[in-house]
Amino acid sequence: MQKLVIIGAGMASGRVLEHLRDTAPDTFEITLFNAEPRGNYNRIMLSPVLSGEKTYDEIVTHDDAWYADNKVTCRFGEKVIAVDRARRVVIGENGEVPYDKLIFGTGSSPFIIPLPGHDKQGVVAYRDLEDTTAMMQAAGKPNARAVVIGGGLLGLEAAAGLRLRGMEVTVLHISTHLMERQLDEAAGYLLRRDLEKRGINVILQASTQEIVGGAAAEAVHLADGTVLPCDIVVMAVGIRPAVQLARDCGLTCGRAIEVDAQMQTSDPDIYAVGECVEFNGNLFGLVAPLYDQAKVLAKTLLGEEDAFKLRELSTKLKVTGCDLFSAGDFAGGDGREDIVFRDPGRGVYKRLVIEDDQLIGAVMYGDTADANWFFGLIKDGTDISEMRDSLIFGPAFQGGAQADPMAAVAALPPEAEICGCNGVCKGTITAAIEGGATDLGAIRATTKASASCGTCTGLVEQVLSVTLGDAFVLPAAQPVCKCTDLTHEDVRRLIKAQQLKSQPAVWQQLAWKTPNGCHVCRPAINYYLLADWPLEYQDDLQSRFVNERNHANIQKDGTYSVMPRMWGGITTPDELRAIADAADKFKVPTVKVTGGQRIDLLGVKKEDLTDIWYDLNQAGMVSGHAYSKGLRTVKTCVGTDHCRFGTQDSTGLGIKLEKKLWGSWTPHKVKLGVSGCPRNCAEATCKDVGIICVDSGYQVSVAGAAGMDVKETERLHDARTEEEAIEWVAAFVQLYRENGKYLDRAYKWVAKVSLDWVKETLADDATRAALNERFEISQSVYRKDPWADHNQSRAALYQPLADLTQEAAE
Amino acid sequence: MDAALDLPVKTFIEVAEIWIPEGDRLVLAEGHYGALDSFADASRHASFARGEGLPGKAWAEERPVVLKAFDGSYFQRTEAAQEAGLTAAVAVPVFSGKTLKAVLVVLCANDNVRTGAIEVWKENDGVLMLDDGYYGAARHFEWVSQHTHFPRGQGLPGGVWASQTPMLMRDLGSGYRFIRADSAGKAGLTTGLGLPIPVPGGATYVLALLSALGTPIARRFELWDARAARVGKAEKSAVLADGICAREGALWVGETEEPRRVAAWQGVIGRVLATGLPAVESGTSALTHGYDTLVALPIHLDGEVAHIVAWYC
Repeated sequence: MQKLVIIGAGMASGRVLEHLRDTAPDTFEITLFNAEPRGNYNRIMLSPVLSGEKTYDEIVTHDDAWYADNKVTCRFGEKVIAVDRARRVVIGENGEVPYDKLIFGTGSSPFIIPLPGHDKQGVVAYRDLEDTTAMMQAAGKPNARAVVIGGGLLGLEAAAGLRLRGMEVTVLHISTHLMERQLDEAAGYLLRRDLEKRGINVILQASTQEIVGGAAAEAVHLADGTVLPCDIVVMAVGIRPAVQLARDCGLTCGRAIEVDAQMQTSDPDIYAVGECVEFNGNLFGLVAPLYDQAKVLAKTLLGEEDAFKLRELSTKLKVTGCDLFSAGDFAGGDGREDIVFRDPGRGVYKRLVIEDDQLIGAVMYGDTADANWFFGLIKDGTDISEMRDSLIFGPAFQGGAQADPMAAVAALPPEAEICGCNGVCKGTITAAIEGGATDLGAIRATTKASASCGTCTGLVEQVLSVTLGDAFVLPAAQPVCKCTDLTHEDVRRLIKAQQLKSQPAVWQQLAWKTPNGCHVCRPAINYYLLADWPLEYQDDLQSRFVNERNHANIQKDGTYSVMPRMWGGITTPDELRAIADAADKFKVPTVKVTGGQRIDLLGVKKEDLTDIWYDLNQAGMVSGHAYSKGLRTVKTCVGTDHCRFGTQDSTGLGIKLEKKLWGSWTPHKVKLGVSGCPRNCAEATCKDVGIICVDSGYQVSVAGAAGMDVKETERLHDARTEEEAIEWVAAFVQLYRENGKYLDRAYKWVAKVSLDWVKETLADDATRAALNERFEISQSVYRKDPWADHNQSRAALYQPLADLTQEAAE
Repeated sequence: MDAALDLPVKTFIEVAEIWIPEGDRLVLAEGHYGALDSFADASRHASFARGEGLPGKAWAEERPVVLKAFDGSYFQRTEAAQEAGLTAAVAVPVFSGKTLKAVLVVLCANDNVRTGAIEVWKENDGVLMLDDGYYGAARHFEWVSQHTHFPRGQGLPGGVWASQTPMLMRDLGSGYRFIRADSAGKAGLTTGLGLPIPVPGGATYVLALLSALGTPIARRFELWDARAARVGKAEKSAVLADGICAREGALWVGETEEPRRVAAWQGVIGRVLATGLPAVESGTSALTHGYDTLVALPIHLDGEVAHIVAWYC
């Protein structure tokens, strides 16, 4: 009988044993080494053992009796020290075993980030029963806290298990969304929401700096200064194939042990299977291909022909109640199309990626019923062109009638709930329609349906349409873009009503039709989010136009214009010298005095931007935001200091206003003017906000224009003091920020909402104070110089990609 | 699994019965009474209006109701129950949206050896508090439970609440939140079945059945997932998501295998799936995997039978 030695009693080698037992039970005399003091168990089910939803006994695949029945000599708890290929022996801690055929099933080891403190007690990986037991013990302490580093499959399963065990759990993930290798941003958002509902704290883009404590871990420090006290730190950041033994005995290894399609290594009598294997450059971590390998290897050992083939893999997460699925390639790209289905009410998101009439990727959250069918289409490369229109609805809809939303609404029984917020059912709405409410406004007034959060507006309109037939015409409001049927106003209202604080939240909860929006809606949504949630939402540069992204105006030859801020149009000899020096140093071809009372340097190369900003920063100047949908300039005249006609210190007020408002983002650009007397040298009456100083105080007027349209400002308020004028201006700007449609200048917005409404709103002292307060909260984030920020953190992005070695000009 | 390894002397639950609305009253649809013939007889002749007796109270108050003593209570079959040695009962209403589908009533016999727990947890101020519970002889555990609360995601009740899914926990001894875990371990409670009980009005209730070694609540548990979002819309069916059995061991399958699936009307589970009504089956060994009795309880969510929980004893 041939002697077969197996190193490692994992799931792959266990499956090899099962195949040998089933097909040729007496062919080999088998010795099985395992460094863990136990045999084969279903390692991927450790998560439910951790949570208490399974026992270890339930996940044992082969127990002692099984090994005895199948005459496998077990050397468990014994490490293999070396393999002597010349003598064909495996050298264990307790002695040698000769082999005719040898299988490496050494699996993988968890990767531990070499952070300061990573070797303290209480820092565990998540790989085997010992790790699981350590976590269970940590959870036994009252009010115990865990930090899980890694928001991938294993980390999240550990987090959910520890939470069920009663711990306070924080997950740290370095990426912008959870499970980024398996999920897109939208599904990652839903997963995060689901985990947060379980009381798990999730911190994204978390940069872990160090694990502190005495002998044992006591807290995790993040780079942003956050301190997370903890009793245990679980590192689940990835695995590495365990190949040292194979390498030491001279087998060919790349990232893992290289094998051919028969699982044979560079030594014809030695095979490898499982996570320690590299095949055609691929590594393996999921169980399905491991089982395929095991089958091929068993056949190879018995002299039968078979070959291992790579196949598409799918992912599932073992957290009770989290239904997700992903398979294939779901990156966007040219020539790829997305089909997206969202059901915000049920928390469902499905996305299919199609290329050349084939389904190449699928991501699903909340509804995974058809996952296997989609997976089959991906694996088989089926031509889906015939069923493209109804593909997203799954196999049940193929060959049948297409889903008609109106038919679905018509089929709803009278007791079906339409408006969840106010508990209004279809029957109530139908009765109201029959009672004479024939448009949305009347339905809102009579039934309250769609009067709160508004997500059912479309549904209410469909009920109107179904009931009234062609007597009801769906309102043709202009949607934001092709990604949604909602208007800007709807989106703004819903972002506030539903407390949507991230782009993925907007895409999902407002049922966006595309995965991540488009070039039209992204800048608008980015603005709405940062205006409504300044502290919670982080400005997304990728959602900005190029000028705002690069904090300079791109010119028609691809160069940029750079314009430092001159507060109220006042400058100094030092500033002028610095500007002149910068113009010389960077060979600026054009230096222009602008209509906004400042100096523009035109023709600056992109790669020079950070350096010229640095020089100007050194001279005390900051960005003039000449490129932004935000505060541009405050134009002033010289006022009482020098002018014989001046009634107030218009320059001083202009400077104060500019210093208060600079850096704030608004729906469109905002320009101010402050004139010291009604002669209006600062041309204040054609600005978004204009102030005319008079003997009795300050006439604040708004909604002027001097561009494509020319319009005089309208009087908003007469202020007696400078403070009062500033308070009104800031309140007006904040009201515009909170209510304006993106890319509506202030005069267009005021025309829509009416000046009377603006006056009435701002006349209330409490409202004005609250607007000022919210403006200041926002400014605590945005009143900062983007040049200095970019110099520090984003300088590399301004360098040309073609020449990475170019030295900085400094 | 430990809970079901040894042959029990007595099970924790003696009687299980299902009351369904007929007109404006609840009538007995089916029940398992073991050898308690006279109580069975009394029940067959009973019916309850809304608010009347224990089933009627669960209907009227739209919540699970625990009744720990019959004497002087609204319980209407007190005499027959006392003769049968039954001392406590729990009524669980099964609602589909606002519609009452049925009321499941389980009755227990009190003596000093039967340990187990049937608990009702209710959300209050963002945490789950014990609404009421029947604990048999596990008095200390009862006291501890009264002084415990569960945030979302923690422990069996918190886990069920957060996931809106029934859960079967094998390891209450070390995991059921430390303070209860300690006491649960001492009381011999090892296995726990938790399930969401949806009621009109949106209040959150979680029912937990905790089973002990000597007097198990059941010897086989099955959790069936019937959500269209999991099993598809083409054909009404349910898959066995989790389960344990004293005889067959673990009932779940690994990631690469297909779970057991039943279609509507296929067997008792299929019947529950099709009708949306709970079922009690006894005396037909083929239908009850060799056990005396099977209780199957549907959980209706979003207008569909989303889950079916079954226990066999």
